[in-house]
Amino acid sequence: MTPLLVGLALVLLGGVAAVALARRPHLAARVFVVLVVSGAGTALVPAVRVLRGAALATIELPTQVPGGPWVMGLDALSAWFLVLILGVGALAAIFGAWYLAAEVEHGGVPQTQLGFAFLLVALALVVSAQATLFFLAAWELMALACYFLIVFDHRRAEVRRAGLVYLVATHAATLLLIVMFGLWSRHAPDFTFASLAAVAGELGATRSLLLGLGLVAFGLKAGLVPLHFWLPEAHASAPSHVSAIMSGVMIKVGIYGMLRLVAMLGAPPAWWGWTVLILGAVSGVLGVLWALAQHDLKRLLAYHSVENIGIILVGLGAGALGLAYRIPLLAALGVLGAVLHTLNHALFKGLLFLGAGGILRATGTRELEHLGALARRMPLTWITFLIGSIAIVGLPPLNGFVSEWVVFQALFHAGLSGTPAALAVFGAAALGLIGGLALLCFAKVCGTVFLGHPRTPAAGDAVEVPAAAWGPMLALALACGLLGVLPGIVIPSAARVVATVAGIPADVIGELTRPALSGAARISVLAAVLLGVTGLTAVLRATAQRRTAVAAGATWACGYAAPTTRMQYSASSFAAPLVDVFGKLAGVTVERTAQAFATHPANVVLDRALEPAWRAVRRAGARLRPIQQGRLQLYLLYIVATVSVLLLYLAVFGGAR
Amino acid sequence: MTAVTWVALGLTLVAAPALPGIVNRTKSLLTGRRGAPVTQLYRDLARLWRKGTVYSRTTTWVFRIAPILLLATTAAAACLLPLDGRSALLTFAGDFIAFAGLLALGRFALVLAALDTGSSFEGMGASREGTFGSMGEPALVLCFAALALATGGTSLALMFSEAPSLWSADGPALAMVAGALLLLTIAETGRVPVDDPATHLELTMIHEVMVLDHSGPDLAIVQYATALKLALFGTMIVDVLVPRAGLPVAASLAVWLVALGAVAVALGVVEAMMARMSLARVPRFLVAAGILPAFAIILLLGSAG
Repeated sequence: MTPLLVGLALVLLGGVAAVALARRPHLAARVFVVLVVSGAGTALVPAVRVLRGAALATIELPTQVPGGPWVMGLDALSAWFLVLILGVGALAAIFGAWYLAAEVEHGGVPQTQLGFAFLLVALALVVSAQATLFFLAAWELMALACYFLIVFDHRRAEVRRAGLVYLVATHAATLLLIVMFGLWSRHAPDFTFASLAAVAGELGATRSLLLGLGLVAFGLKAGLVPLHFWLPEAHASAPSHVSAIMSGVMIKVGIYGMLRLVAMLGAPPAWWGWTVLILGAVSGVLGVLWALAQHDLKRLLAYHSVENIGIILVGLGAGALGLAYRIPLLAALGVLGAVLHTLNHALFKGLLFLGAGGILRATGTRELEHLGALARRMPLTWITFLIGSIAIVGLPPLNGFVSEWVVFQALFHAGLSGTPAALAVFGAAALGLIGGLALLCFAKVCGTVFLGHPRTPAAGDAVEVPAAAWGPMLALALACGLLGVLPGIVIPSAARVVATVAGIPADVIGELTRPALSGAARISVLAAVLLGVTGLTAVLRATAQRRTAVAAGATWACGYAAPTTRMQYSASSFAAPLVDVFGKLAGVTVERTAQAFATHPANVVLDRALEPAWRAVRRAGARLRPIQQGRLQLYLLYIVATVSVLLLYLAVFGGAR
Repeated sequence: MTAVTWVALGLTLVAAPALPGIVNRTKSLLTGRRGAPVTQLYRDLARLWRKGTVYSRTTTWVFRIAPILLLATTAAAACLLPLDGRSALLTFAGDFIAFAGLLALGRFALVLAALDTGSSFEGMGASREGTFGSMGEPALVLCFAALALATGGTSLALMFSEAPSLWSADGPALAMVAGALLLLTIAETGRVPVDDPATHLELTMIHEVMVLDHSGPDLAIVQYATALKLALFGTMIVDVLVPRAGLPVAASLAVWLVALGAVAVALGVVEAMMARMSLARVPRFLVAAGILPAFAIILLLGSAG
């Protein structure tokens, strides 16, 4: 455990150094990167050891606060999330140093570095805390550090609004967590997770209540529909490397919370599994549908986080059903899919957000309709972004495919189980639809950002990002490729996480996930076949083309001689057929004139449900306003009236006492 | 066993271009014309292979690699199907997802190539292909789910080698799956009534308008890959309908080829009888393709429970 504490201290020191050296921004950035990366590396050592099967002793931090000691420990579940926090975090820190260098005049850079360090440390503490108050303190530190990062660009009103909505959402989650842990710890001698888990069997009806509260609280953090309303704006407003951490890592803490809840409370009831599964399917489909409607690159990516949280929850829901109906294979595969997709999504979403940051710096815009043809200007960013896109769509041979493949298998095994869980097989249709829509959406993104003609001069003059920015993207892209081609290298570690969550011995889980492991080996073969046939076809075509003429010409415009770049298909028009199919659900206002076509996507839940509801509350409140006159006599009258009514009540109904 | 599987793969690769020929010939005969010979696509491919290539100055390496990737993914998908009715070259639990994923990767490559040209026509085709492709995906997954429930297997080899022997028990469900697969074949390979490969108006095209800029060997590869895809989907229909696991090797292969021809004839009959739908109605067509296997699953779950 010592390396973990030392590592986190180094990360924090990096943040402090950035503030201390604020006068010399170049040096500050360098020191920050070195300290954060070395700190993350140090802290990763115990996490990797735990994932390989080692057991680490917990440590108790001395505290005077009631509720028992603040215990800190690493089991496989914590270690898995720690790897993702520190791995993506270190890469985002490197990228962030470059990204923020352009904002030095802005003035807030050192504080942002400090906030980033705080966020990483808080995230690491959230997943390694094993006592309620410690967990809540880390949770709140994470929420607040993140708020200050979101409002980095606070001169823009929409950024301040996004920050406010985020703050409200995250505190709603914190309040629910306090209620949940409060109800729970009434049954336990102290507030440590070990004591709470020990009383899981004696909770009775409270157990269902805890699971429900946990689902809402952690769901708010994870961004499942309809609790995702804060997410798109907050993720789009933050600096890009922070978006990468928020989308790739921070929302996963919500998933961590759900997994921890299941690990501590034991097999959840069937209704919980069904709720998670259905909410997951709904989040997945709606998330990708809303993403399709966006033409702001970062907001689009943020909606894809909602989609991927949906996929993770479909896996978790299937796993929970497996636990509820006592089908070990279903439990193992479902949770395995969720755990794997958590890691995979962190990798490719981190990569895509860093890519979006590079594009934003190179062109000054995140508006898809103002980009185009960046493949020529930014070839390195394009390659990595394309890898991230193929991975997020879930296509072989990259890592997104592997985790979706496991979730699909879980759903099929549910269908074969001969229990009520069999209906979960319809979740496979939702997953299929999600995959197809994601393909359409990323074809739109890649096509409008990187291919075709540049739509504005800014896009035409873009300059490739330097190695400091491209390096982290390359590292993430290589990780996506490695886990896609050789998925067998992480499945044993993931199986240990599953064992912790499902409460099934590790060797049993190892046996249950063996088919997945051998399938993973076949996926490697399939990747080799794909590569081989691609090479063969390329050679064949090269021979054909060596004997014939290869000419360069203009794009065939069906006989029209003077096409302009404005005639290109735009992001809005590309998505239009699909958005039309879904109608009102897509939340898009369409503007069609003879010369122009534009779509304006809405944040369906926030704009069309929460804000009207809030306005209704305020209107109702306005009716009550006349009773507030500010005159003392009136208030005395209220008190007299209230006391009289209470006395009357006692006189009529209180006689029995 | 493996040798037979390789022979079956070779036969598929050789016979695939004949299928569009059979479809078109059937359609011609039924509409009172003589039509092109069945081997027309072979001649077209040979001619295109010898022709020069024109690449638009707008395009990048994406445009050049897309046809290759389309063919490679389709061929790799062929390795997962039990073409000989017994086993596939590569089989693992959940390989049906790899099958769907490979076909999707090919589609992704072709869509990106279309957008790489910067042409509004090709963008239109790419948008339609992506839209209809995404709506076909759940239908395909549900077909596999129904077959998995019927046979108890989660690999394509198990599903398709077992399915035809279950007609007495699960006939209605299998019929629905076969029907859905036929609808999907029409949608995925761009045949009437979803798409018309013979149309001359770009505004109404789907697949054809997406490959407007491909020429020479590239166009040959795209056309061949589409024919190969037709062969794969046709094989899936055959493997649901025709029990051939018990037959001797040669007979099994012969039955498969004849049945594949019959599927092509059926497609030709559909083409002769129907006009092309308006684009707005294609989603309903694809939803129908998804509802059929969903009903099949309900039937199978009902009979199991």
